[in-house]
Amino acid sequence: MLLDVHDLHVEFHTRDGVARAVNGVSYGVDEGETLAVLGESGSGKSVTAQAIMGILDVPPGRITGGEVIFKGRDLLPLKEEQRRKVRGAEMAMIFQDALSSLNPVLSVGDQLGEMFTVHRGMSKKDARAKAVELMDRVRIPAARERVRQYPHQFSGGMRQRIMIAMALALEPALIIADEPTTALDVTVQAQVMELLAELQREYRMGLILITHDLGVVADVADRIAVMYAGRIVESAPVHDIYKAPAHPYTRGLLDSIPRLDQKGRELYAIKGLPPNLMDIPPGCAFHPRCPMARDVCRTDEPPLYEVTESETDRGSACHFWRECLHG
Amino acid sequence: MAEPRGGTERGPQGGPEGKPTSATGFEKGAGPAGEPILEVSGLVKHYPLTRGILIRKQIGSVKAVDGVDFALGRGETLGIVGESGCGKSTVAKMLVHLEKPTAGVIRYKGQDITRLSGKALKAVRRNIQMVFQDPYTSLNPRMTVGDIIGEPFEIHPEVAPKGDRRRRVQDLLDVVGLNPEYVNRYPHQFSGGQRQRIGIARGLALRPEVIVADEPVSALDVSVQAQVINLMDRLRTEFDLAFVFIAHDLSIVRHISDRVGVMYLGRIVEIGTDTQIYDHPTHPYTQALLSAVPVPDPAARANRERIILTGDVPSPTNIPSGCRFRTRCWKARARCAEEVPLLAVPEVFREAGGPAAHDSACHFAEEKQVVP
Ligand SMILES: Nc1ncnc2c1ncn2[C@@H]1O[C@H](COP(=O)(O)OP(=O)(O)OP(=O)(O)O)[C@@H](O)[C@H]1O
Ligand SMILES: Nc1ncnc2c1ncn2[C@@H]1O[C@H](COP(=O)(O)OP(=O)(O)O)[C@@H](O)[C@H]1O
Ligand code: SF4
Ligand code: SF4
Ligand SMILES: [Mg+2]
Ligand SMILES: [Mg+2]
Repeated sequence: MLLDVHDLHVEFHTRDGVARAVNGVSYGVDEGETLAVLGESGSGKSVTAQAIMGILDVPPGRITGGEVIFKGRDLLPLKEEQRRKVRGAEMAMIFQDALSSLNPVLSVGDQLGEMFTVHRGMSKKDARAKAVELMDRVRIPAARERVRQYPHQFSGGMRQRIMIAMALALEPALIIADEPTTALDVTVQAQVMELLAELQREYRMGLILITHDLGVVADVADRIAVMYAGRIVESAPVHDIYKAPAHPYTRGLLDSIPRLDQKGRELYAIKGLPPNLMDIPPGCAFHPRCPMARDVCRTDEPPLYEVTESETDRGSACHFWRECLHG
Repeated sequence: MAEPRGGTERGPQGGPEGKPTSATGFEKGAGPAGEPILEVSGLVKHYPLTRGILIRKQIGSVKAVDGVDFALGRGETLGIVGESGCGKSTVAKMLVHLEKPTAGVIRYKGQDITRLSGKALKAVRRNIQMVFQDPYTSLNPRMTVGDIIGEPFEIHPEVAPKGDRRRRVQDLLDVVGLNPEYVNRYPHQFSGGQRQRIGIARGLALRPEVIVADEPVSALDVSVQAQVINLMDRLRTEFDLAFVFIAHDLSIVRHISDRVGVMYLGRIVEIGTDTQIYDHPTHPYTQALLSAVPVPDPAARANRERIILTGDVPSPTNIPSGCRFRTRCWKARARCAEEVPLLAVPEVFREAGGPAAHDSACHFAEEKQVVP
């Protein structure tokens, strides 16, 4: 395993109380593999990613348990200085909002070049040449001229491609892309996703793709981890999960999306709302919204059961995963 | 329960058989079967682009909407799709008189309402209401939910006498699936989906015949999106509403619409029934747009052809000559730069008929199946 996150816990201490944003997340990704992390807003996808990258807001955030094992060593005990070396060179992140994650007063060439001057000790001139090469690589037309331009002079899709170039600059082993196309139109989303998938194949990077779009997941992921209230509730290879989900929440999500290829009738709607993280329901956190809930669900928190009927490596945090799988 | 709108001023209803089955057979080919409730022709909105502070000089214009035609049948839902900035919201705002068209005509039940004012405008506005995209900012945070939903009654007191308003508001809350006891709460006490329900309740208050919904579920999470879509689905049957439903999500639009119009750079480039557009698209832009939508089925990965468009949408200040899509069209030829393709049934399909025979603004329209 390239990255192995084990039983990660993160809390936020705020004026109103303690928000338990991540409550025992475990997932892993291999080199060359794409893991999609799926979940509604507030389910803890980004916070988990921030903890992996070492860019969590501390305080108010606090990691209260778990391990982030990257290339065989736990990153959590490392000093900030050592973390910084890992970041960028060995793992990099792409954010949803490229405009606010790029520096508005530096040309894109300077920002790309900085990766090489800072991390690789290159001369300014060589770094500039590298920047042009990268912009070419992510298909920015007229890269040689545009390298001098500022972020706001690029379209949304191009900015996202510049972010990808920046993440790729040092050829990291792992990339975390947090909703990289959510702000983009479908045609541009298709361009960006295709580029990302192609580069990932070429460099054999591990990719964690965070998204709430079940369509994007189906297109590119090898494995899926579904998050709910700061936990992984289901984990499986992509084909298995779409064929037969083993958790009622996953099933609900799949049934609630309108499909382009079907003129559907009434959509299934998951009742109620996602939980308040200051006051997560006892037992199974999903029980107030679950159509299959029984008494035991209100008291006993389900562990991530191994889905033993599957030939592949699958897990479900539902006491009644077997029923769900067959229903 | 609020009873459906009193039918006094309404004509005969279009039942299921009144729903359009084909876009053809109408004079311009773009319309629903039966007399339209709302009709738009040659709609244009240009925003002046100025420079200078002391002496303002117009140096061009943003052609946000640049000649849009469509008709909406009674009880029908017309979906409008297109990429960011293509003019969807601007069309919506003109329909509800929040923006004044630069040119063109909007007809409501045959009457030209484009330049109405005063009393006459007020009477018409009552019947065409809007639901906005952003449930977080479109509600006044300092007003109670009761006041927000009841506000339209202040402007149109004839709809609900003062003593009756609270009951009306509570009925509306009930209709959209919110607890009627919430009337005194404030917007921040509700979730996004609940706020969108409040916006819908407000839109229904005056019992309009037409609702213009601009990206009503785009800001919501998937599970909540389904709740709101189902609600709108139910309301349009219950209240016999006609909907203009604007969205950039093509799957949602297919789910909810009877007919669909595809916009590009300020114009509708293709329009037809949901089957015509999704299963028999003939315009290259529609085909590219549809092929780019991810389908939530990993088994479809292998056998799907993606049309990946190159380049970006041109600026609406500088629209290409001839066909406005030609800078990104893989089929563009010399004629495309010279001649503007009109929105009509392309000649190749006119004779044969069938589902490909619907309005498409392309000189070289061809059928291509892109949805798996
Ligand atoms: N008040 C205005 N002044 C100048 N230009 C405007 C104004 N309002 C809109 N525009 C421009 O008109 C074009 C169409 O805008 P509009 O908001 O209708 O797009 P849209 O299709 O609704 O996009 P989105 O999907 O992002 O909501 C855009 O280029 C926009 O920048
Ligand atoms: N800096 C912060 N301070 C307080 N709470 C935070 C902070 N960052 C995230 N949270 C909370 O943690 C929870 C999970 O957030 P996040 O991981 O961003 O969700 P998502 O799954 O949408 O990415 C949310 O309830 C969020 O409000
Ligand atoms: S454990 Fe119970 S409440 Fe939780 S998902 Fe399974 S059936 Fe539903
Ligand atoms: S008219 Fe020409 S440029 Fe326009 S869509 Fe048709 S083929 Fe493409
Ligand atoms: Mg997030
Ligand atoms: Mg808009």
